[in-house]
Amino acid sequence: MTALLEARGIAKTYPGGTVANNGVDLSIRAGEVHAVVGENGAGKSTLMKILFGIEQPDGGELLLDGKPVHFAGAKAAINAGIGMVFQHFSLVPSFSVYENVVMGSEPKAGLRFDRKRAIAEVRALSEKFRLPVDPLPSVASIPVGQQQRVEILKALYRDARILILDEPTAVLAPQEVEELFVAVRSLVAQGRTVIFIAHKLPEVLEISDSITVMRAGKTVAQVKARDVTEQSLANLMVGREVTLKVDRAVTDKSTVRLEVAGLSVNHENGTTACADIDLRLRTGEIVGLVGVEGNGQQEFMETIAGHRAALRGSAMLDGVDLLDLPVLKRRQAGLANIPQDRIAEGLAVGASLAENMAATRLSDGGFVRHGLLDRKAMKANAAALIDKFAIRAAGPDAAAGTLSGGNMQKVVVARELSEDPKVLLVSQPTRGVDLGATQFIWKTITEARDKGAAVLLSSADLSELMALSDRFLVFYHGEIVAALENDESVTPEALGAFMLGLERQTPEQIRAVSL
Amino acid sequence: MSSTRSNMWKAARRETARALTALVMALLVAFIIVLITSKSPVETFGTLLSGPMTSKRTIGLWIDDVAKLTMTGLAFSLVFQARQFSMGVQGQVYMGGLFSALVALSPIGPTAIGMPAAVLAGMAAGACYGFIPGYAKARLGANEIVSSLMLNYIAVNLVTYLVREPLVAAPGLLSTANFPPNTIFPTLIDRTRIDLGLILALISVAVTWFALYRTSWGLKLRLVGHNARFAEYAGIKANFIMVSAMTASGALGGLLGAMFVQGQAYGKLLVQFEGNLAFEGILIAIVARNRPLAVPVVALFYGYLRQGALIMGIRTDVPTEVIAVVQAIIILLVASSFKFGGGRLLARLKPAKPATATGAGA
Ligand SMILES: Nc1ncnc2c1ncn2[C@@H]1O[C@H](COP(=O)(O)OP(=O)(O)OP(=O)(O)O)[C@@H](O)[C@H]1O
Ligand SMILES: [Mg+2]
Repeated sequence: MTALLEARGIAKTYPGGTVANNGVDLSIRAGEVHAVVGENGAGKSTLMKILFGIEQPDGGELLLDGKPVHFAGAKAAINAGIGMVFQHFSLVPSFSVYENVVMGSEPKAGLRFDRKRAIAEVRALSEKFRLPVDPLPSVASIPVGQQQRVEILKALYRDARILILDEPTAVLAPQEVEELFVAVRSLVAQGRTVIFIAHKLPEVLEISDSITVMRAGKTVAQVKARDVTEQSLANLMVGREVTLKVDRAVTDKSTVRLEVAGLSVNHENGTTACADIDLRLRTGEIVGLVGVEGNGQQEFMETIAGHRAALRGSAMLDGVDLLDLPVLKRRQAGLANIPQDRIAEGLAVGASLAENMAATRLSDGGFVRHGLLDRKAMKANAAALIDKFAIRAAGPDAAAGTLSGGNMQKVVVARELSEDPKVLLVSQPTRGVDLGATQFIWKTITEARDKGAAVLLSSADLSELMALSDRFLVFYHGEIVAALENDESVTPEALGAFMLGLERQTPEQIRAVSL
Repeated sequence: MSSTRSNMWKAARRETARALTALVMALLVAFIIVLITSKSPVETFGTLLSGPMTSKRTIGLWIDDVAKLTMTGLAFSLVFQARQFSMGVQGQVYMGGLFSALVALSPIGPTAIGMPAAVLAGMAAGACYGFIPGYAKARLGANEIVSSLMLNYIAVNLVTYLVREPLVAAPGLLSTANFPPNTIFPTLIDRTRIDLGLILALISVAVTWFALYRTSWGLKLRLVGHNARFAEYAGIKANFIMVSAMTASGALGGLLGAMFVQGQAYGKLLVQFEGNLAFEGILIAIVARNRPLAVPVVALFYGYLRQGALIMGIRTDVPTEVIAVVQAIIILLVASSFKFGGGRLLARLKPAKPATATGAGA
């Protein structure tokens, strides 16, 4: 049986000299969910961009329905029935959902844009493929999970037979992932084919029929999902044994590093984000902030970091109230911050790695002498971090934007940890990061803890929280509703009950652990 | 290391190729226009292409223009790199010219420090004039495009008024008295307009490059330009950087003002002395992709075309305004093929553009 879409010996070298693909084979059968997995920088996104016609291969060939094809651009690929959803969406935020979906191929009544029909068509499409989204509001006003549905609908509106989803789950909360999978299954049931990139192996095994494994620009295996286990797949990807377990040393937790008292924060629109939060963070521990996204833990972190104003309360770090200080002073007091959105907040993609890695230390001393940049030191620093964190990049002068998603994340982690922080704020540290790098980032955060850093960790991934935390604080509707020591007795189910607000501890129980 | 060097060269070559493509296309369009409008198109086009080379004097006009275009290109590049779209160079030029005239015509003028004092006064006035829209944006959130354009009108009209009334040399004239000779820039080449201004422009190129790429202020400025949210996150005071970038750019604009009035061309303050040159800095900055070192190169080519068009306007039956069309074509070509700067600038200049363009997917 011939494949629907086939790539043979695809090669691609970027202008910077990076060999992204070097003999990739891929064979997609009609009506399957085909996962492509591999380490950060393995060349997955590059391959997908080639399939979608926005990058041109230097070698190899593409076959669609057994016939050789060449896509000069996205238009050609779309006409051939291929659709792609990028990790960073390409929607017009101020336009409504339906306008975004039909843009470029609007239904017409004479010369006029037939809005009624457009809305009806978008509604029908969204029902047919179980991608519920209201066509009328503007894209800017809907959550990320729904924006993704709009992107998928956009591709389906153009009759995509083959839908490429590049790391769709990296931006989603766990329950949104389930909803996405419902849609993917309904797509396949209606004869569409889905190519799917992800790093979390349980997700891959749950949704896919076949799996292609890439490593360093090559295809190393193509397997049936039912023939592999998480462990065997991990070994194929990394080429060595990986275990996602970290050993935490026994540390001295006698000193309180950060003491938060009565902290309340509002959203921009005046509603409460979190209220009267009390907690003590000690040296040598990781406190995990648990909660469904949107329950105030993110706003709490942003307030400590200095990107959001507190309504009232205090956050004392070694006797100074952080809330009174500008960001630079907070950093100089020993605060470091790994933000949740690396592209929007953690990096300047147009600047070089050396510049990105020095950006937080641009006052005199360190990388600056008498107002002049110490470019040698900046480069040496970047080269050392690139080496230490195994970042795949051309060198310190490479622009951050040329790195693969996971490698960008490593740049942020490397910079923040290189300052030996006293207090480390970490949000979603391993989103879009491969298995090996996840293991590495977990290990570095744990090492920082072992050396005496006090860490606040927030993550949508419960397994990450359970692997790293010493204590859990569960956020629900802007309050801490439970505080637990991390030991064998804590299960995901128990945490889940608190997260969904089904249960809550008494204030005494909470204070006993949170302070 | 050597590989990144060679990449840099590759990138530079790519940029040059793009700029040259834009140039060739622009020439092509100019030729078509000439073909349509002129009775003797080949000759006319020949004048456009060779005009600036006809005499020592025209070469001087060209090079003098290049120095001035370089200054305005630098001023725009500096604010554009910080992603501030201040359009205030024109106003800064007038204020700079006004204040260097005031100093040159004051008792300080004829003294030994007359020339540098007048130059510094011009720069200071330009800096203040650049500071205002920056401060208004940082404090009040006033859109810098609008406020800087308003300030331009004020400056142009203020100078016109002052030159016609209180400062006029004799009733009916449109200029002040001549400056004392010692405040006027010496020529570098006899009987041309090429003067000290050219050297000041080249020094400005070096200083701007150094400030942007070798100082921590410059890196902060560029980081604010790349991603203001990241800059805030990294502890950079984005507002301070923004205001100081606009102020520094204003000083460059003010210096250009001094170059105009103290240069060989005038040696006095007169109405409309800038002749709409300041805004051409936008085009130069876009083509040079806001790189200070590329600015004089672009100015060299563009200044040639501009001078050629002026001469064509005088000597043939095709009006100088053709250059405006050519300019528009270059902007279109460059803005559509360059990812940074140009497209974004044009997008921001369009009033219909929604404010929520960022924060899309992520
Ligand atoms: N535009 C570009 N210019 C230069 N190099 C690039 C560019 N895009 C990607 N690369 C490089 O090509 C390699 C492969 O990148 P790609 O984005 O395909 O990886 P990926 O498998 O999708 O990784 P991730 O899982 O981290 O997203 C990386 O080393 C990356 O640095
Ligand atoms: Mg990728």
